[in-house]
Amino acid sequence: MKIELTLNGAPVSVDAPADTSLLELLRDHLDMTGVKEGCGIGECGACSVLLDGRLVNSCLTLAAQAGGRKVITIEGIRGAEGGPNDLQQAFIDYGAVQCGYCIPGMVLAGEALLARNLEPTRAEIREAIAGNLCRCTGYQQIVDAIQATAIKRQENSNG
Amino acid sequence: MADTLYVGKPARRVDALEKVLGTAKYVGDYRLPGMVYARALRSTLPHARIARLDVTPALRIPGVLAAITCDDFIDHGRFGFPVPDMYMLAYQRVRYVGDAIAAIAAETEEALQAGLEAIELELEPLPGVFDPVAALQSDAPIVGESPWDAPELPRGNLLTRYVVRKGEPDALLADCAVTLDEEYSTVHQEHAYIETEGALAAPWPSGGGTSPSGGAGVTVYASCQSPFVNRNNLCSVLGLPQEDVRVIQPQVGGAFGGKDDQMYQTSGQVAKLALLTGRPVRMIFDREESMIASYKRDAMQMRIQLGADRDGTLRASKIHAVVDSGAYAAITPFTAWRSSIHAMGPYRYDACHVDTDVAYTNNGYSGAFRGFGNTEVCAGIEQAIDQIAWEIGMDPIALRLRNCLRPGDTTPHGQSLGDDVALAECLEQVRRLSDWDRKRAAFSAAQSEPSVPGAMRRGIGVAAVFHGMSLGAEGADFAVGTLAINDDYTLTLTSGLTDYGTGSRTVFTLIAAETLGLRPERIKMLRPDTDTAIDSGPTVASRSTVLGGNATRVTAMRLDSLLTHAAADLFGCQAAQVARHGERYVGPNEEPASFEQVVDHARQMGLTLSTHGRWNMPEIHWSFEQGQGKPYFAYHFGAQVAEVAVDTGTGKVEVTGIWAAHNTGKVIFPQGALGQLYGGITQGLGYALIERVDYDSGYMQATNFDEYLIPTAMDVPEIVGSFVEKPFAPGPFGAKNIGEPGMVPTAPAILNAIFHATGRHIRHLPANLERVLLGHDLRKEGSNMACKLGLRAERPQTTLQEAV
Repeated sequence: MKIELTLNGAPVSVDAPADTSLLELLRDHLDMTGVKEGCGIGECGACSVLLDGRLVNSCLTLAAQAGGRKVITIEGIRGAEGGPNDLQQAFIDYGAVQCGYCIPGMVLAGEALLARNLEPTRAEIREAIAGNLCRCTGYQQIVDAIQATAIKRQENSNG
Repeated sequence: MADTLYVGKPARRVDALEKVLGTAKYVGDYRLPGMVYARALRSTLPHARIARLDVTPALRIPGVLAAITCDDFIDHGRFGFPVPDMYMLAYQRVRYVGDAIAAIAAETEEALQAGLEAIELELEPLPGVFDPVAALQSDAPIVGESPWDAPELPRGNLLTRYVVRKGEPDALLADCAVTLDEEYSTVHQEHAYIETEGALAAPWPSGGGTSPSGGAGVTVYASCQSPFVNRNNLCSVLGLPQEDVRVIQPQVGGAFGGKDDQMYQTSGQVAKLALLTGRPVRMIFDREESMIASYKRDAMQMRIQLGADRDGTLRASKIHAVVDSGAYAAITPFTAWRSSIHAMGPYRYDACHVDTDVAYTNNGYSGAFRGFGNTEVCAGIEQAIDQIAWEIGMDPIALRLRNCLRPGDTTPHGQSLGDDVALAECLEQVRRLSDWDRKRAAFSAAQSEPSVPGAMRRGIGVAAVFHGMSLGAEGADFAVGTLAINDDYTLTLTSGLTDYGTGSRTVFTLIAAETLGLRPERIKMLRPDTDTAIDSGPTVASRSTVLGGNATRVTAMRLDSLLTHAAADLFGCQAAQVARHGERYVGPNEEPASFEQVVDHARQMGLTLSTHGRWNMPEIHWSFEQGQGKPYFAYHFGAQVAEVAVDTGTGKVEVTGIWAAHNTGKVIFPQGALGQLYGGITQGLGYALIERVDYDSGYMQATNFDEYLIPTAMDVPEIVGSFVEKPFAPGPFGAKNIGEPGMVPTAPAILNAIFHATGRHIRHLPANLERVLLGHDLRKEGSNMACKLGLRAERPQTTLQEAV
């Protein structure tokens, strides 16, 4: 079937079998390999994407469900001149990255949180990324990075 | 030490940018033209004879390109070190549920499925053995192939046995005022790297190999830890020379010890299929296949006897451990040896005996996992030490300070320690950081108040660790690094060791930058490639910083002396008269020259601006018969304190704080070292409370993250990590290792805190709700898997005392 959606700001149209998951559509048909598969059952969050701004597990979402909607993957999170945005830069600066496999999903989970709450407590940040498993970092530096970005964005929006 | 420019200073991970952008490529992200897909047919029985296996029907399915069995490999694809008991595909028997039997390559997922179903397989069930202590009894079904598996060993399921011997503990134990005799057990743990296993093999164009008859060659990209070990295995099972097999390391999405043997087997399968089909072949495990097929942390049963004087002086220890290696040896003999060396903890004793038996069973198979034997024994001995302190009425930190190894002490193995030892400092540091004295007293006082059902109880506990550096007497130990200056004045750095998230590429880059006085941005550290890097042994045992770091330092010092020589020639002076400030050289008359000018001059002189450096671990020795020697060159020391809140109505344990102090020597990459510590502690927290690979008659009970739980961001408290940077002279810039030891003491610190809160010793991991609440396990009569398979849920465990 034909699926039309907005991917990272650009309209795309793909022919894919009706049972294709959004994860398969993104990775196998649209080459968005920043979207990772970790469990295939919606437990680990490695395949997280933003669907109309909401964080979803793309492995549990049918591609057809994304029809006519806006999908943001890690490839769509960029700062000026295609480099990292402020949250991605904070992940680098605060040492939030080790093996890196969960990081695309973590960044999107952070963006989803910051879109609705620019003053999260550390407990709220932990809750917001609780659906994203990381086996390397113990999460602490990820929380640091999201918190630092929240403070900066808050200052920018006030200033 | 002189002030440093880059070492110990804030730095960024060299591959962080591509990882946050999502452009970092893992093997599952690699696609090649004409690439096809592979999967293995795996055993559904824990132990069986392969009565019939015919893969030819699969080849009749449209889209199936090749199908292989063990017969497609040299010597049936036999591999494994130190005991070569595994095959690229099962030979004659399967020994665990998930054992790979055949593998096929196909153009589509549908053809792959149909092909696997078309394979004709008859398995004739054999009796299995699922209890390691029972496996060592004379009437147990034999899992191994002795004497073939391990010709030097007695028979059957006893894979190997290790001892430590100092004095005669029995006599002392009988005399001691305070004694302890308890059994402890740990369970198998899943690595749970978020990236599952995967490998991609690409055949070279026909005739691309070195064989004059137009032989084949193959390049393998594998999510593995040790590309040179992989290459060597591939050469032997494929019958190809080293020149015709190339292993290139893609980004690895976590390993923690888990991407060795399993990945070598998978690499062999895809390499063979690629050679047969002439097409690139990729195999990626889904999570269920990963959990069922891959090896785990071994499970261990321990009987610990301790004796002490009334004043808290430890006198004697006697430990007997049985290790469940599962169906294959993999690296478990090394794990078990390390566990025997560390079983008594970092303390002085007048006498100490350790006996460790390693048994084959049909419970999956065990291999390396962070801490590598030490994580298991530390969970036992550190609880036992705490119990001694409690029985004497002594503060647990005070008792450890009284007995802990200090500079100049001799270990129970007969090893004299150097002045790098800083365990006492670590204990004092966590005591201070955690506000131990006040909390211990306050929580203890609250314990004596009348209990209300459902009330919260708080507790605080401590554990100490020592961890032998690198491989120890497990094997020859060296690493090699190379450096070359490129035309654009950047440098290329290599190592044979893999950075699977540990940060070693950043550590090596900083060491090279510091040694050469060059900005780290100039240096590009490659991932290992067996054609461009030099074999540096396996990436295991927290050996990268010291071994790989020293090799990097040696190669950088060589390059530095070449450049100094060139600068001297440029200035017309002696090398000793050349000064270097960062990237600027200065001659005796204050004349400056830039790095670029010196490089240009060196080239005009005809100097070759590439170097390699090898570093060998200083000599160590161990008598396996006498149980004495110098098992490791040196040790990492550390201490952790955990604080818990226990719900006495449900048994739920919340870890409310962890403080850690580790004797790392000079920290090269502080942000990375802290990350290793936080990550290790989090895995230790999971090991203490929730993680358990449960085998029911050989069937793994949890096969995905809905049933096998690992800590989420909400399960982990804010951790306070710290280092005691007492310099370690032989380490690069005085550095020691950190990767594994951060995990080791976490579980016993939590268990000791639970004891402090509840008065309940949880001697069998994990400390789940029912064990904390009731003091014993609940046994589900029918687990999901048991119901599906119609199994009886019954698993009596033989105690060590019963077995004697």
